[in-house]
Amino acid sequence: MAKPVKIILAGEGGQGVQSVAEIIAEAANEEGREALYIPNFGVEQRGGVSVAYLQIGDEPIGAPKFQIGDIVVALSDRAVHRTKQYVGPETIFVYDTNIEGIEDDLPRNAKKVLGIPAIDVSKKELHPRVFNIIIMGAVIKATEVVAVEDAKQAIEKKLGYKFEKNPKLRDMNFRAIERGMELVASIL
Amino acid sequence: MPEKPIQGEKRVFMTGNEVIAWAALAANADIMYGYPITPQNEIMHYWTRMIPKYNRKFLQTEDELSAGFTTVGGVLAGRRAFTATAGPGNTLMQEPMSMAEAMRLPVVVVVQQRGGPSTATVIYSQQEVTMTTLGGNGEGLRVVYSTATHQELYDYTIKAFNTAWKYRFPTFVLGDGYQAKMRESLTMYDPADRGIEMVATEPYVGKPGMPGVDRDPTHLRNTYNVEEELYEVLEQYLADYAKAAPEIAEYEAFDTDDAELVVISHGVVSRAGKAAVQELRQAGYKVGYFRPITLRPLPVDQLREVANKAKQFLVVESANGQLDRLVKEATFGCPVEMLPLFKPGVGITTEEVVARVKEIKG
Repeated sequence: MAKPVKIILAGEGGQGVQSVAEIIAEAANEEGREALYIPNFGVEQRGGVSVAYLQIGDEPIGAPKFQIGDIVVALSDRAVHRTKQYVGPETIFVYDTNIEGIEDDLPRNAKKVLGIPAIDVSKKELHPRVFNIIIMGAVIKATEVVAVEDAKQAIEKKLGYKFEKNPKLRDMNFRAIERGMELVASIL
Repeated sequence: MPEKPIQGEKRVFMTGNEVIAWAALAANADIMYGYPITPQNEIMHYWTRMIPKYNRKFLQTEDELSAGFTTVGGVLAGRRAFTATAGPGNTLMQEPMSMAEAMRLPVVVVVQQRGGPSTATVIYSQQEVTMTTLGGNGEGLRVVYSTATHQELYDYTIKAFNTAWKYRFPTFVLGDGYQAKMRESLTMYDPADRGIEMVATEPYVGKPGMPGVDRDPTHLRNTYNVEEELYEVLEQYLADYAKAAPEIAEYEAFDTDDAELVVISHGVVSRAGKAAVQELRQAGYKVGYFRPITLRPLPVDQLREVANKAKQFLVVESANGQLDRLVKEATFGCPVEMLPLFKPGVGITTEEVVARVKEIKG
C-alpha cells in the first residue's frame, strides 16, 4: 500500500498557508487522486500560528492529522518552533531565509533543510500578496504531488473572478508559482 | 416543481459541513432549525445559501433549546425537519430531544463534537458520545450514527431521515470538528438513483376527520398522572426499540477471526484504527479491527462474538472512556481484557495506535 505524501504548512495568520493547502488539495482531487486537507481552526486563526495538514495519495486517506510530515514548511519564527515536532529523519524542512534569529532553532534531525528567499522574491520581483503562491510552487517542486498545470487550473478556479477584472493578476500568480519551483530546484 | 439538487453521480471535494447541507437537500428535508455554534455553523450557512432555489426553509432561533423544540414542532406538522449543534449546544438540545423520545418523534440532529466540558475548545473531540447516546432524563430511545468519512456523512445524513421516520425514534448523525472542517472527496447522488426511497412523512396534528369517529385520536404525551400509565407506555417503547435494534445496528470489521488483539474505535478515530491495523498486520501482528457505526443501538451480538474470541480489546477514542463504557456494558461477562488509549479532546494518529499496540505486544 503506497503511503500518501504528508505535508505541513505553517505560518502567521494572513500569510495564506491555508489557501495554498486548499488549492493543492483541489488540484490533486481534479487529477482524480485522493486528497485530505484540514486546517487548525482554534483561536490561532485570530493571531497565532496557522497550520495546514495536507495528504495526497492514490488510496483513501486515513487519519486527518499525522505526527511526521514528508515536507514541513515554516514561514515565520513562531512557525519554525511550532513545526519542529513534525520533523523526522525522512522530512524535507523548508523555511524562508528572511526569518531572523532562527538559525539555532532549525531542526537538526531532518533529511534536508532548505532555505528559500520567498519573502524577498515576492517583495522585489512580484508583489507581497503572491508570497503564498511562491510557497505553493516550492511545495509542488519539492513533492511533485500535482502537475504545475493542474495547480494553475486550481488557482484559476479559486481566483478566476479576480483575474477577469485584472488579467495582470493571473500572470503574476502564474509567475509566482514558477519562481517558487525555481527556488527549490536551484537548491535540491 | 424545483429541479433535483443532485443530477446523476457527482464527485466533489468539500468540507463535511457542506456535505451535510447537500445531503439534507438530497434527502428532501423541508426545513432546518438552528442556532450558531462552532464547528457546525457552515451547515446552516450552506443550507440557507442553497435553499431558495429548492423551496426549502430555515429558521434561526434564539438558542438550542428553541432550535430543538422548533424541530419537534416541524416534525409534528409533518415536515422532514432537522437541526445541527455541538458542545454546549448539544447539552441544551437534550431537553427537547427527551420530549421527542417521549412522543416518538422522528427529528434528525447533526452533532459536530467539540472539546468539553463547557466551552472548552471549538476544535474537536469525541466527548459527546455519552450525552448523544443517552442524554435526557430517560432511557436513550434514539439512534446514533457515528460517521468516519465524508462519504459516510452524506450517506448517513440521508439514512438518518429514513431511520427516524421508519422507526419513529429521534436520530443523530454524530460527527466532530475534524469531519466538519476537513476537505476530502466523496460522490454525491440523488437517493432515488441508488434505489433509496425516502420514507414518507405525515403530520401528527391537524389530520382530517373527527377523532374517535373517523380516525383514532392522536395521543401526544410527555406527561403522565400515575406511575403505571407511564410504565405501560415505556414497556411498549422499549419493546419496539429492542425489536428495531438488530435491524438498525451497523458495524465495520476485518481481520477479527484470528486476532489476539482487536482495536475498537468509532468515528474519525476509526480511520487511524483501520490504518494502524493494516500496518500492524503487514508487520505480522495478529490484530483485528472493529468499529461500531451505530453507537446507539450498539451491534451487541457482533461485538460479543469478537469479545469471546479475542484476548484483548484496545479501545481508542478522543474521550476518557465514553465508548469504552458502552463497549464494556455490551460485552459484560466476555473474557476479553479491555485496554485503553484515551486522549480526551485531542486527535489520535495512526502512528499513536501502532505504537500503543507494539507497546502492549512487546
